Amino acid sequence: MENVGCQTNIITIRITLSLCLSPTYTINVHTMFMLQAAAVQMWYKPGLRKGACLLVCIWSERGIERQMHCSAVLSKMALTQVSSNKCAGGYQKVYEHESVELQCKMKFAVYLPPKAETDKCPVFYWLSGLTCTEQNFITKAGAQQAAADNGIIIVAPDTSPRGCGIEGEDESWDFGTGAGFYVDATEEPWKNNYRMYSYVTEELPKLINSNFAADPDRMSISGHSMGGHGALVCTLRNPGRYKTVSAFAPICNPIGCPWGQKAFAGYLGADKSTWEAYDATVLAASYDGPKLDILIDQGGDDQFLSSSQLLPDHLIAACSAKKIPVVFRRQPGYDHSYFFIYSFMSDHIKHHAKYLNA
Amino acid sequence: MWSYVGHIEWTSYRFRPAGSPPLGMDPLGSRGVLGVIEECFSAEEQEEADEGITVTRNQLQEKVVEMENFAGHLEEIFLTVEENFGRQEQHLEQHYNEVLQTLSQRYDQRAARLDLDKKSRLEVLYGQLLGCGRTMDSSKELIEAAQGVYRSQDRRLFLKAVMPTIQRIEEFAKEEMDLTLSTALEINTTEDDLSDVKTMMDSISVVPAPSAPVINPQMANSATQTSLRVRWNLFSDDTVEFYELFYRPVLEDLPADNTHGTDVCKVKVKETHCRVTDLLPNAQYELWVMATNTTGISPASEKALYMTVPSPPAIKERGCSSCPEAALIRWDSGNNNPVDSYTVEITEMDTHGAQCGAAEAIVAVPSCQCLIQLQQDRRYMVTVRAVNIGGPSEKSHPLGVSTTGTLFHLLEDTAHPCLSISEDGFTMFYGDEELPLSALAFDDNNFARCVAVLGDLLPVRGQHYWEVAVDDYTEFRVGVAYEDTNRNAYLGATNTSWCMRHILTPTRHKYEFLHDGWSPDLRITVNPMRIGVALDYDGGTLSFYNVELEQHLYTFHCCFQSYVHPCFALDNPGGLTVHNGVEAPGYTRN
Repeated sequence: MENVGCQTNIITIRITLSLCLSPTYTINVHTMFMLQAAAVQMWYKPGLRKGACLLVCIWSERGIERQMHCSAVLSKMALTQVSSNKCAGGYQKVYEHESVELQCKMKFAVYLPPKAETDKCPVFYWLSGLTCTEQNFITKAGAQQAAADNGIIIVAPDTSPRGCGIEGEDESWDFGTGAGFYVDATEEPWKNNYRMYSYVTEELPKLINSNFAADPDRMSISGHSMGGHGALVCTLRNPGRYKTVSAFAPICNPIGCPWGQKAFAGYLGADKSTWEAYDATVLAASYDGPKLDILIDQGGDDQFLSSSQLLPDHLIAACSAKKIPVVFRRQPGYDHSYFFIYSFMSDHIKHHAKYLNA
Repeated sequence: MWSYVGHIEWTSYRFRPAGSPPLGMDPLGSRGVLGVIEECFSAEEQEEADEGITVTRNQLQEKVVEMENFAGHLEEIFLTVEENFGRQEQHLEQHYNEVLQTLSQRYDQRAARLDLDKKSRLEVLYGQLLGCGRTMDSSKELIEAAQGVYRSQDRRLFLKAVMPTIQRIEEFAKEEMDLTLSTALEINTTEDDLSDVKTMMDSISVVPAPSAPVINPQMANSATQTSLRVRWNLFSDDTVEFYELFYRPVLEDLPADNTHGTDVCKVKVKETHCRVTDLLPNAQYELWVMATNTTGISPASEKALYMTVPSPPAIKERGCSSCPEAALIRWDSGNNNPVDSYTVEITEMDTHGAQCGAAEAIVAVPSCQCLIQLQQDRRYMVTVRAVNIGGPSEKSHPLGVSTTGTLFHLLEDTAHPCLSISEDGFTMFYGDEELPLSALAFDDNNFARCVAVLGDLLPVRGQHYWEVAVDDYTEFRVGVAYEDTNRNAYLGATNTSWCMRHILTPTRHKYEFLHDGWSPDLRITVNPMRIGVALDYDGGTLSFYNVELEQHLYTFHCCFQSYVHPCFALDNPGGLTVHNGVEAPGYTRN
């Protein structure tokens, strides 16, 4: 067999078969089936499932049969495009896939700037807040123009697994569906599906890096409210992974607010020490990693600020003590909605671009 | 007996000996040069011999050149002498022609006079002759009458006529005969006055007094700060022994009259040019020349006005500022009186401080400042000259200009009296001590309430960047302000200033970004010790950064109506230092 390349590393296994020159080349059917078998085995092997991605490209003159065989393997990690709209010179797309972490079909939105047609672009991950899906951000935040101008890919996943059939998942708007809280749940019946932390930090980046013109070394994260909490936690727990972080009205200290207490009790159990690993204020107090530069915007007329759900002062105090650079801006008159996000999104994209395009 | 016009310089040529080469070798010895060389065994000696030969060869070559020069000079002298002789010949010829002309003139005059004389005498004599003739006729007639009477037979007629006739004869006899010639027979030849011819003859050998020389107008670039180079010409082929040049300064408030004021100085020279020294710079002088020879002194030439070159200006280092694309240079004139214009010269320097590229000059700068367009990230050397009709002055002391970052100095006369500024002009202190009221001198320009100071104007569009180093406990205000910002107000309180303010409360540090009294609500977790200020005129932004963390703090979006000054203030005792001339870091650029 000519031109068979096989690279193995711990996280990504990719077998590429590319036939460049000869149109008359035929693949040995037996080898093909062996490859398929190996692929399927790896897929189902627990240790290798996490991050295993098998990509097989076949080009042969008797292709259709073999393609059908292989597509069975591929469909396990395939992306299905749900929608595509041209926007600000680039494309706002929505994809669906079978998530390994979350054990269900998940959608996510990807904005590809014009630059992505020719070069690899850095990636900005946006985590939405309570009750949101992947749609809210792409229709309301108005981030596409700034992303196009700065050549940044924006990925906006959903906020929790959907349609898992767990009892009680749809009972509250601030717990269960649409309220994943970006944790890896340890309590039943949530622990199989509600693994948003791993989804966001592991599965999703790999998916993006393999399927799009994304630069795997340059990514940053941001979010709103619960997503802001998620962005801060992901950054503080993975020093050096994200080039920068910013947040809109984040839940800064979930342990101390009703939302956080309800969610963590449900997902993580009664032992509050397990909650600390998902609390930005606690994580900041013990952060030890590369220098950060955190931008936080908070609406002054935000009802959740006044009802002590957000608690930014706690985070500021912790960052002041630990000398973590934060610029916290209180914007008078603004509330908790996407109107507020829309108003300051370009400032945030600019902040991210400074680090992603450096 | 003749003296030649002009002055020829004689250079003395000293014929030096060829000089002996080192090691006492005789290159022109009997064996000759090559023979000597062959005898040298060691390479060293050979080298030295070679050296010696080279030295001698060079000396001989120099000598050849000198001799050629001498021959040239001799030729020149010969030509000059020939010329002089020719002129002399012409002069003599002319002179003698004149004398001859005069003489012939005189002769003609004299001949004419004699002619006239002769004519008049002849006329007189002719008249006399006629008179005599008439007398003769009348006496003949009388005799005939008497004879007739004597012959008359008629006694009665005789008796009648005899008495009157006798009476007539008696009368006639009584008449005196004037037989003298009415004119002298000799012709009086008056002696002609030939004294002038004599003087003319004498003056052939005597040189006339020269006529007034013609003084030339001032030549460009011939003057220096304290001297003038004056030239003049002879009006004609006069012989001159020496010239006397007179000069005096022309003072504006005194009339140009010889009898008043300044003394006239005099210089005696043999050439037709002179360098007058010991003069004042940027001053006008009146000069005239008189030529003298053995006969006398010429009248004075026309008075010419010359101007010395001005003194060089002095660049005010603290008055200059620079930015990536331009530099503003200010200087002191260096002269009491006004000059016509200034010339600014710019040379690019490379990283080692050597000149690279040609020098550029900006001429006809009318005032003591100049905004020069330059290129980014280079080093330049700038000098200034003052120019008047006498020419340009010497270069001023150079000023090094760097177009990296923006450099400005503080305007110390805008500083609040309580604010003291360091020697180098970049650090300011608000002292603890209470100053006595007398020391608090307020004028229109300095800040009276806010302990503030302005930096020099940033008069160039584009982007500017500077940094301010502060302490943790210093309450400061740092930003920009219009030139006419209210000196009785606090920075940031009016709409003519924008600043970042640090306030120290008992519990925490507070930061405000003030303009027109309003600030956004901002919390900063790490207190900046070094603040980067980035001004963008075109984009209409003023941004502040924490330089150590490369963290953006806040950006004002404003529309600057005119150029602004950087401004600094201290709200409590403490100090801050301005660091400028720093390149704007990448994260401050859009």
